[in-house]
Amino acid sequence: MSNVATKAKELLESKAVQVVIGYENGTNGVVRPAFITTPAKAAQLIYDERCVQNLAVYLTKHEVKHFGKMGIVATLPVMRSIMMLISEQQVFPDNIVVLGIADDGNILDFADMKIMQAHIGKSNLENPSKDQEKLAELNKMSLEERFKFWEQELSKCIKCYACRQSCPMCYCTRCFTECNQPQWLPVQSNTHGNMEWHILRAMHLAGRCISCGECGRACPVNIPCHLLTMQLADQTFNYFNVHAGISEDMKSVMSTFEPNDKESFII
Amino acid sequence: MARIGVFICHCGENISATVDCTKVCETTAKLKHVAYATEYKYMCSDPGQSLIKEAIKKYNLTGVVVSACSPRMHEPTFRKACAEAGLNPFLCEMANLREHCSWVHEKSESTTQKAIDIVRILVEKVKHNAALQPIRVPVTKTALVIGGGIAGIQAALDIANCGHKVIMVERSPSIGGHMSQLSETFPTLDCSQCILTPRMVEVLQHPNITLYSYAEVEGLDGFIGNFVVKIRKKAKSLDEKVCTGCGLCITKCPVKKIPNEFEQGMGFRHAIYVPFPQAVPNKPVIDREHCTYYIKGKCKVCEIVCPTKAIRFDQPDEVIEAKVGAIVVATGFDIKHADFFPEYGYGKYKDVIDGLQFERLASASGPTSGEILRPSDGQKPKNIVFIACAGSRDPAKGIAYCSKICCMYTAKHAMLYKHKVHEGNAYVFYMDIRSAGKNYEEFVHRAIEEDHVNYIRGRVSTVYERDGKLIVKGVDTLLGAQPVEIVADMVVLATAGIANNGAEQLAQRLHISYDSHKFFAEAHPKLKPVETNTAGIFLAGACQNPKDIPDSVSQASGAAVKVAVLFSQNELTREPLVAVVNRMGPPMYSTCVGCFMCQPVCPYQAIEREEYKTRDGKVIKTVAKINEGLCQGCGTCVALCRSKSIDLYGYTNEQVYTEVVALLNDY
Repeated sequence: MSNVATKAKELLESKAVQVVIGYENGTNGVVRPAFITTPAKAAQLIYDERCVQNLAVYLTKHEVKHFGKMGIVATLPVMRSIMMLISEQQVFPDNIVVLGIADDGNILDFADMKIMQAHIGKSNLENPSKDQEKLAELNKMSLEERFKFWEQELSKCIKCYACRQSCPMCYCTRCFTECNQPQWLPVQSNTHGNMEWHILRAMHLAGRCISCGECGRACPVNIPCHLLTMQLADQTFNYFNVHAGISEDMKSVMSTFEPNDKESFII
Repeated sequence: MARIGVFICHCGENISATVDCTKVCETTAKLKHVAYATEYKYMCSDPGQSLIKEAIKKYNLTGVVVSACSPRMHEPTFRKACAEAGLNPFLCEMANLREHCSWVHEKSESTTQKAIDIVRILVEKVKHNAALQPIRVPVTKTALVIGGGIAGIQAALDIANCGHKVIMVERSPSIGGHMSQLSETFPTLDCSQCILTPRMVEVLQHPNITLYSYAEVEGLDGFIGNFVVKIRKKAKSLDEKVCTGCGLCITKCPVKKIPNEFEQGMGFRHAIYVPFPQAVPNKPVIDREHCTYYIKGKCKVCEIVCPTKAIRFDQPDEVIEAKVGAIVVATGFDIKHADFFPEYGYGKYKDVIDGLQFERLASASGPTSGEILRPSDGQKPKNIVFIACAGSRDPAKGIAYCSKICCMYTAKHAMLYKHKVHEGNAYVFYMDIRSAGKNYEEFVHRAIEEDHVNYIRGRVSTVYERDGKLIVKGVDTLLGAQPVEIVADMVVLATAGIANNGAEQLAQRLHISYDSHKFFAEAHPKLKPVETNTAGIFLAGACQNPKDIPDSVSQASGAAVKVAVLFSQNELTREPLVAVVNRMGPPMYSTCVGCFMCQPVCPYQAIEREEYKTRDGKVIKTVAKINEGLCQGCGTCVALCRSKSIDLYGYTNEQVYTEVVALLNDY
């Protein structure tokens, strides 16, 4: 039995949690999310390099919340997502137990959120290096070239909203895309309407994206849409010197004003 | 089916000179859902308004677009006209053809086209307007007056005499403010104390006024008509109800050499003290910073001698909360201490003093009992120099503005000196004499002509000491910039009037705006000089800018009337143009997910939390709720809300979206 499974079994047996959110083997050699509610099934849980999906997305789902207290297998992006969700009052620290995964794959025991916060503080919070390279490439392009690049990429979008569904920060019960009074976005897929969606999505995640890259992985037509939000994560760090998801009481960058905020972007 | 009426105003020639109003009228008349369109020379005139009223009835209009000037100008006029014709006033919109079109463009085809577009947009918008009802909020008929100087006193008495309750908060142990420090007042030279102290006593004795001296405003919540103020009553270390104000404790207090703030450091006070003999309330406080008991743990002489046992060494600060409906801020001013002018030697030479110190020297109750004596050796100064504009009108070293009161008080000082030292010579260095005010110019002339004060137009470059005399080096610009040197015994600097210390913090606590000099800002420099940008908070006196006594008193009465107007009604009605968080039935209750990112952006603290609970008290959902009394309809929260759960009445997302779409589409 894996480390994760042993720990999950303990938690479920002691009734410290009612559900553990983790990964299990799926079909054809892929892993899938698992929601374990009995100690007997804890053995299904695994953790290896294939387990990259950001599980924090389930913490705000009604269907999972109704089990009761939740345990969650958490890599660094999941931990940061949890911090963001706590700061935005979507998740309450008393209601979750975090089974942290260290870089070496060992289980981290977080007695409380402050200890997890210290762990996040010591970690590398920059965008993943392969995404950084791609962003650098895009930033080197002229405005026209970059527009063309995104126009081409986003023309593929089928408006399935998998990017939204996979993102832990997109927790609204009714997204503005579902509003038809007014109809903010065209329902059907067309290049400029698709661009509208992706620009608005990125704006809604400015200062909130924790750079897990889940939206890009979820995209069925392989649009690197995670680069949009990662670019904004970079920019908010440059302007305000704050990474998203580093503490449970952090103030939202986009809705707070500090007298020493840089205002160089105001024309 | 919408039936819209379009009314195009020529505004005399203001609009019709560059916009072809007839073409605008003809084009818009053909728009879908426009039931009637007409033009008129002055739509705001009585016949113009009648035109609208008749059309509403005749064509059974469901919406009205008045295409005229800015809604800031005439929206209330036209909305009222619509209401009189039986149409909900919020179904009337204005298309701004003047400021947005005719005034800013030349006469041309495209100017007319732009006018058509503006009207078109509003026609589309008004189709989505909802009939709104005014919001009513209750009024607490108690006023808070912050500051007990002459402005605060006047405002408090006026409000109290209207029959309303007043709470006055004064930071120092006594009310009276700067006016109580003055010797005599221009332009009549009547004694300041003599005219002020009866008012101070009236405040204390007025049945409608509650006075908290030695207290400060610590926080403010709420909104117009419904403020909740937190007042910190600093510990006086004395039971005011028991103390009779006999003053025995003061005479026996062994700590005697504390520079007296009221005497501007020219005299001394004890550790237990009343600031001045006529203080109101006339009961002492213990200065815990200097009192031996608080420093060393023993002494208690005051407690021993007190015949009524009123001393309470362990008294804590008390924080009280009060509900008030309106606030008058009258926190006054301060003077810039002259130490920022090293060349005038303030602080270095004992005989260089500032204007307020001179007031104390000239005052009958001051440290010299009204004799003008040099602080250094107690001799009568034979030659005295007054320097006006010491810091004022000096953007390079001091402040850019004119402190307004200095010309007059400098003339007064020179006169008082001449009246007391007949053989002495008084010199005034000035830049310009600014004596606009009733009998002010005559007063200055009296100083020059009857009292023979020497006015020298020019600035002073330096003051230095030589053989016990102060050498004042200046220039006389009326004698061709000839250098002047005066051997003086004393120099008085008319230093600039500045915002009181703590003004910025108070403004932030009250959420009122202030200017770059930290003076409180009025809502409009001409038409709303007494109001602040926060509804229900008014200004009086020198906290707005340096003012003399007549100006402060008039403004205080003005502020009092504003409060009385507010208190003349039991309920306030206000425009319902506020933001709302949507509500719906279970299980959603609202599309708001309770992220509360809107909370910090609200400039008016109008966003609250609302919890949906089951019957047994379990919280199902927490969502944002907007307090419609506080909301000013700025729309910042609307822009920030990701799930579009907030909407602004009168400017709903739907309305704005329709306007944009109308502009993009052909017609």
